[in-house]
Amino acid sequence: MIIDVHTHIWGGDYESSTRQLLEASRRYGISKLYVSGLKSHYPDEAEVESLNADVHRFMKEHPGLVEGYCYVSPVHANALDVLKRGIEDYSMAGMKLWVATFCDDPRAFPLVEQCIEYNVPILIHSFHKAVGQLEFETTGIHVANLAKRYPQAKLLMAHFGGNCYHGIRATRDCPNVWHDFSGSPFRRDDLDYAVEQVGASRIVYGSDMPIAYLVNWGQVEEADLTQEEKEAIYWKNAVQLFDRNYRLS
Amino acid sequence: MYQDVNVLLGHWPFRKIRKHTLEHLRQVHKENGISGGYVSSINSIFYNDPFDGDEELHEIIRGTEYKHILTVNPTLPGWQRDIVTGIERFGIHGVRIYPTYHDYSLLSPEVSELCAALKTYQLPLFVTKRLEDERLEYILKTKPLDVSELRQFVSGQPDLDIVLLNIRFNEIMAMEKEINSLPRLYFDTSGLKDRVFVVEDLLRKISAEKIVYGSQHPLYTLKSTFFVVDKAEIGEDVKRGIFGGHARFLQRG
Repeated sequence: MIIDVHTHIWGGDYESSTRQLLEASRRYGISKLYVSGLKSHYPDEAEVESLNADVHRFMKEHPGLVEGYCYVSPVHANALDVLKRGIEDYSMAGMKLWVATFCDDPRAFPLVEQCIEYNVPILIHSFHKAVGQLEFETTGIHVANLAKRYPQAKLLMAHFGGNCYHGIRATRDCPNVWHDFSGSPFRRDDLDYAVEQVGASRIVYGSDMPIAYLVNWGQVEEADLTQEEKEAIYWKNAVQLFDRNYRLS
Repeated sequence: MYQDVNVLLGHWPFRKIRKHTLEHLRQVHKENGISGGYVSSINSIFYNDPFDGDEELHEIIRGTEYKHILTVNPTLPGWQRDIVTGIERFGIHGVRIYPTYHDYSLLSPEVSELCAALKTYQLPLFVTKRLEDERLEYILKTKPLDVSELRQFVSGQPDLDIVLLNIRFNEIMAMEKEINSLPRLYFDTSGLKDRVFVVEDLLRKISAEKIVYGSQHPLYTLKSTFFVVDKAEIGEDVKRGIFGGHARFLQRG
C-alpha cells in the first residue's frame, strides 16, 4: 500500500493535474493522495480561495482516495478564516505553507496554533538551494525554529529540506518533525542518510505529483531498508501522522 | 541484453557514497536485469591528471563485463596521447567530457579538435550536461551549460556519435529539432526526473531510437530511472530498445 502525502493540483490546471494524479493512482497502486493547490509564489486572496476550492472539488469527486491540505498564505488578512473553512467546512486533513513567508514568520503563528487545536499536520515547503533561493523560501532551519517554538505542532518538512544534508541536519533533533522526500532529486544516498539521522518512523512517502513520482518510488525500493521500514514509509507513518486522535506527548 | 550507458566508479568528494564498489554496481545491475555498462571514473573528473583516474578504473574493471569510457579534459595538454593509450591499453569504448566542471565551452577549438580525433578513432563522445542537481551542489558551483550552446555544438558535429547525459525533459524539448534530425545524436535517461509520465510524453515528440538507458549510478538511484522506463505504458519492444538495443551503436567503433 502507498499513501502519497505530497501531491498537487498545479498551476490551477484542474483537468490536467487531476487526470495525472488519478492515472498514477491506477497504474501504481496508490491508495490515498494528499493534495494541495499551488500556482503563483505570492498569490492574492482570490487565488488561494480558488485553489482550495479546486482541492475540495477533487476530494468530493473521489472520496476515499483524495484528501486535502488547506493552502494558506500567512500574509493574508483572512488567513485564519481560510484555514477554518478548509478544516471545518471542506474537511481537509492539514495545512499547507509554501513560499509567501518563512514558516517561522510570526504571521504564521496563529495558524500553527489553530492547527495544534485541530491536531492536523502542517506540510511545509522547505528547500535549501545552492542557486535560486526564493526570498522567503523556508529551509530546515526555519522548520526547526517553528518545531521548537511549538513542540505540539505536527510538522511535515517537504523535500527533505531540499538538500538533505542541510535540512535533515537542522530538524533531526525535533521529534515533532516528519520528513518527505518529494520532488525530483533522487540521489542514491539521501533516503539512507535520512533514515540514519531521524529513523524510518519520521519519514513519509511523498512525490510532488504531477512533477515527479517514479523517481521517489525507486528511491524506497533501492534504499537499504527492511520490509518493515518500507511499509512504515509507504503508508504506516502517514496513517499515524494524519490521525487526529494521535497527539504528540 | 540490458545496458547502462552512464555508470561511474570512484570517490565523489561532496558526500558519502554508500554503493561505490564494482560489487555494488554488479549487484544493482543484476537486480534490475542489466548485464553490463559503460563506466567512467569519478576520480578522473577531479584529478589534475584525469588519466591517473582512468588507470585506477582500468584496474577495477579490466576483464569484466564493463566497458571503459575515458575521461578527457580537452583544455589540458596531452589528451591526444591519453586517447591513444586508452585505446591500446584499456580498449576504451568512448570518451566522456565534463564542460561544467572543467569550465570550457563546447564551441572552443579544443573541443573541435577532440571531436575530430574521435571521428578518426570512431569513438562516441559522452557529454555530461550535469552530474548534480544544481540546487543541491556543495562547495563547487558548476558553470551552467546552456542548451543554446549544446544545440550549436551538436549541429556542428553531425558525423560524430554523441550521447547527452543527464539532460532534462524541457532541455530535450528545446533540442527536439536537433535530436530528431541528427541520426547520431542520443540522450540517456538519467535526467528524466520531471513529469509523472515522462517517457510517454517524450515519445510524442522524440523518436524512441534516440533514448538509451543510463542511470548515473551511484550518484543517482538506479531503480528510479529503471522505473521511469519499465513502468511506462509503451510497447515492450520500445522498452527493450531503450534498455539495450539502441546502445548497440556504442560498440561499432
